[in-house]
Amino acid sequence: MSDTILEVNGLQTSFYTHLGEVQAVRGLSFKMKKGDILGIVGESGSGKSVSALSLMKLIDFPGRIKAGSIVFDKKDITNYSNTKMSDMRGNDMAMIFQDPMTSLNPVFSIKSQMVEVIRRHRKVNRRDALKVAVEMLHLVGIPEPEKRIHAYPHQFSGGMRQRVMIATALSCNPKLLIADEPTTALDVTIQAQIIDIMKHVSKELHTSIILITHDLGVIAELCSRIIVMYGGMAMEKGNIDDIFYRPSHPYTRGLLQSLPRMDSHAKDRLIPIKGSPPDLMKPPSGCPFSPRCPHAMNICREEAAPTFKVGEGHTSVCWLLHKDAPAVEGYAKGEVADAE
Amino acid sequence: MNPNKFEFIKDKYDDAETSRPSLTYWQDAWRRLKKNKLSMAGLVTIGIILLLGVFGPMFTPYSYSDQVNKYKNLPPIMKLYELGGTYFYVSNDYNIFAVERNGRLIDRIDADRSRRDVINKVYVYTYQGEDVVLDFSYNLLPSKMGYDYDLTLEYRGETATQHSISRINRIFPFGTDDIGRDLMTRILYGARISLLVAFIATIVNLFIGIIYGSISGFEGGKVDEIMMRIVDIINSVPLVLYVILLMVWFRGGGLWNIIIALSSVYWVSMARLVRGQILSLKEQEFILSAKVLGVSRSRIIMKHLIPNAIGPIIVSMAMMIPSAVFTESFLSFIGLGVSAPMASWGTLANNALSGMITYPYQLFFPAMSIAFTMLAFNFIGDGLRDALDPRLRKG
Amino acid sequence: MRSYFLKRVVSMFITILLITALTFTMMHSIPGGPFTREKAVPDEILRRLNEKYNLDQPVFIQYLDYMKGLLTFDLGPSYSKIGTSVNDLIVGGFPASAKIGLLASILIIIVGIPIGVISALKQNKPIDYVVMFMATLGITVPSFVVATLIIYFFAGKLGWIPSFGITNPLGYIGPVIALSGYSLSFISRLTRSSMLEVLRQDYIRTARANGIREWSVLGKHAIKNALIPVVTYLGPMIAAILTGSFVIEKIFAIPGLGKYYVDSVNNRDYTTIMGVTVFYAVFYIVMVLLVDLAYTIIDPRIKFGSEK
Repeated sequence: MSDTILEVNGLQTSFYTHLGEVQAVRGLSFKMKKGDILGIVGESGSGKSVSALSLMKLIDFPGRIKAGSIVFDKKDITNYSNTKMSDMRGNDMAMIFQDPMTSLNPVFSIKSQMVEVIRRHRKVNRRDALKVAVEMLHLVGIPEPEKRIHAYPHQFSGGMRQRVMIATALSCNPKLLIADEPTTALDVTIQAQIIDIMKHVSKELHTSIILITHDLGVIAELCSRIIVMYGGMAMEKGNIDDIFYRPSHPYTRGLLQSLPRMDSHAKDRLIPIKGSPPDLMKPPSGCPFSPRCPHAMNICREEAAPTFKVGEGHTSVCWLLHKDAPAVEGYAKGEVADAE
Repeated sequence: MNPNKFEFIKDKYDDAETSRPSLTYWQDAWRRLKKNKLSMAGLVTIGIILLLGVFGPMFTPYSYSDQVNKYKNLPPIMKLYELGGTYFYVSNDYNIFAVERNGRLIDRIDADRSRRDVINKVYVYTYQGEDVVLDFSYNLLPSKMGYDYDLTLEYRGETATQHSISRINRIFPFGTDDIGRDLMTRILYGARISLLVAFIATIVNLFIGIIYGSISGFEGGKVDEIMMRIVDIINSVPLVLYVILLMVWFRGGGLWNIIIALSSVYWVSMARLVRGQILSLKEQEFILSAKVLGVSRSRIIMKHLIPNAIGPIIVSMAMMIPSAVFTESFLSFIGLGVSAPMASWGTLANNALSGMITYPYQLFFPAMSIAFTMLAFNFIGDGLRDALDPRLRKG
Repeated sequence: MRSYFLKRVVSMFITILLITALTFTMMHSIPGGPFTREKAVPDEILRRLNEKYNLDQPVFIQYLDYMKGLLTFDLGPSYSKIGTSVNDLIVGGFPASAKIGLLASILIIIVGIPIGVISALKQNKPIDYVVMFMATLGITVPSFVVATLIIYFFAGKLGWIPSFGITNPLGYIGPVIALSGYSLSFISRLTRSSMLEVLRQDYIRTARANGIREWSVLGKHAIKNALIPVVTYLGPMIAAILTGSFVIEKIFAIPGLGKYYVDSVNNRDYTTIMGVTVFYAVFYIVMVLLVDLAYTIIDPRIKFGSEK
């Protein structure tokens, strides 16, 4: 499997607060191919952002990666020291964040921030680093980059800042870019531009991208593979058609039903998912979605579901797919799959 | 496999809702403040100091101006020499006092000035008809010539070179000052003055600041600009300078003069704070809707804006009290405080300054009173800030 | 940018004008005049004195005279020290005050900021608790208490430093520590909380996500941001040092400006009070202006005037 860029097995991340352990990620496993754009979707508190930070090993005190392994580019980075990770961050793997307004340092110019990153990972002089930085800004569509690069973050709009973030993150041509809600804080029109840029850039630079969002629309635009997360666990995995047209998990269905669609009728109502995400300090035993699930069964409260294979590359963690479960329309029976 | 396992559950959403017991803002703040041990300690300390200041002077046998001349410069802890069953205390200015074993002063014993040998440093006193001879010449000998004591005391044929016991001064637990006034009484009265000045000045500042700041913030435009320019100009010079000028102008320190001087300048920071709060609240929907409903301006300020801005105002008030205590003691210390014989803690510290090396306790008690009060108020202020900061409310 | 500072300078002059007018009016409206003493001064002498110091003129004329003198940096004669001008007092006293003030400022910056940073980086570790406890003490214990404690222990009991005046370089230790105590504590607390706040910011996470080395994340990215609120405090810090020096100079018997000021207050030497007040005010205003200049260097958002 030489074309695997990232393999995550049983990742668990917890925060040890004075009130108790918050289990933000509770056993996440997935595999990602080179050049893929993987979407991780879920509502806030589902553990998607913490998963992303765990992959970069940027979990701060009082958080800790409790168990699991991360294999990136054939290297097991699970036990890498912070120094070693620091060499990789920005170089092999990079990350951009939700809020571009606060993610750039306000007291340094764009130039100074970009040049520092480039010179951190490449042995180049200041002038060449500046050239690379200008090129990158050009690539992400910033007009007059050689002039604008001298400006400070506050002189840019939100969309422009997010472009700067992407340009900086990609300036050392990383193999993997993790984008944590890159469009959430932006206007809708700007969102589309940023999505276009990411699409364009990943093709141009052959960068694999993990896109983390709660916005299924963004996922539909960009991603080939999708992981639906809930309560710190992956609920359903599949390619874009699987998730959008053959959802096999009540949570995924709930998500889709709560979205407006082009082909829906005016009198169709959006159906919200009732209730709120689980308290990760005391996660429910069994399926985390069971308290809100319209099809919850006794077993769902008692025992965590195994992974069922629904189709090629399409799995779902739901008891409804068990052969003994009562039939519900839309949920085909699946075979218990080995861990992917 | 148990087939029941795959039965649907009927009662679905009941445990999806987790709810916290709903607390009002003040209940929540109080709950958080109670958790802060330092703040509670501060609160208790201030409570005790207030009680002592208000009721303490009623229980002391002296008033702040009573002088017992023979008992000047007596320390809180006396080193007693035992001679023939009698205990003597020798003061730093070579007065000798007869003391009971438990530390209760009996009297100063009479010095026989006719037999005083000033050159050889031998003084003679009489107590109950017999001589008490004090020889303190040893300190004057070069390198003390090997003696390991400073003085000898002779009475009824016995000689003592070292004190035998230390006892707390029963009559003046904090000692006396240089004209024989009871320091404990003076410190209790000082607490009254210091805290009275601090509280009144803070309340006056609070009112002026709130009124000024809310008018400025609410009116906006030209009015706001002019009012804030005035504040800027006042603020462009250390406020203590104004206070000093005012105190000089008043030609001395009555209690009320200090309060007026403190009240007349320190409101500017409160005014700024209130204005900032009002400005940020003013644009919010609930104020707009009140305006649209035709609620009067003063009513909007009093009923809507002030209650919403009250958190930071209270915190800043809690911080203003110790700074008022400090400024008052500072003024007294540079000689602009309350007029004698009244004394605040600052005055007491100032008075003790000249004799600091010889009579450190005279400085110790007022200084510690100021420091403890400041510390306690600061802890309360810190705790209030944490408790009232809405950003920290969860958790 | 330029117009901003032009505005600042103009408002500075207006402020100085108002301050002098205020001090002048206050000092001249005190009933009795400067030569009224407990003992009655003979009328003839009083008249001569008033004539000598132009006190027989209308107040407005006196004010114009005073302002005329002020333009040429002449603050007039001292009323209590006959034969000395207020200028002499300032020239004589300011160097001593400036020296301990400068030393205290240096101490505050090179000690206060680093311990604040260390305390933030070691948050909730023993060293943090110790530092913050000391800092709380430093803020709450008034400077005159600190000063007297220093004299009592280090000069009185131990004899390490002179207790009176500055007779040797060791003599600076007491006054400088007492003078800097409050601001040092305040700065280190401020630096700590500011640093903690900054370390939570998104851009610090960005820097780490881009592989910036930890020493650069802390020593460059974090500190520059953390210092912004610290720099804004430098102005008020000057005030704290100025007013602190009143008592410190008195306690340590340093013949500085603060001591003259306190003496003049006690002697009701109105020209000196007025002159020194004006001097302090001008000095303070100019220093704050300079601090604001420094501020624009550290925070680019101010320079272009688009935010805040």
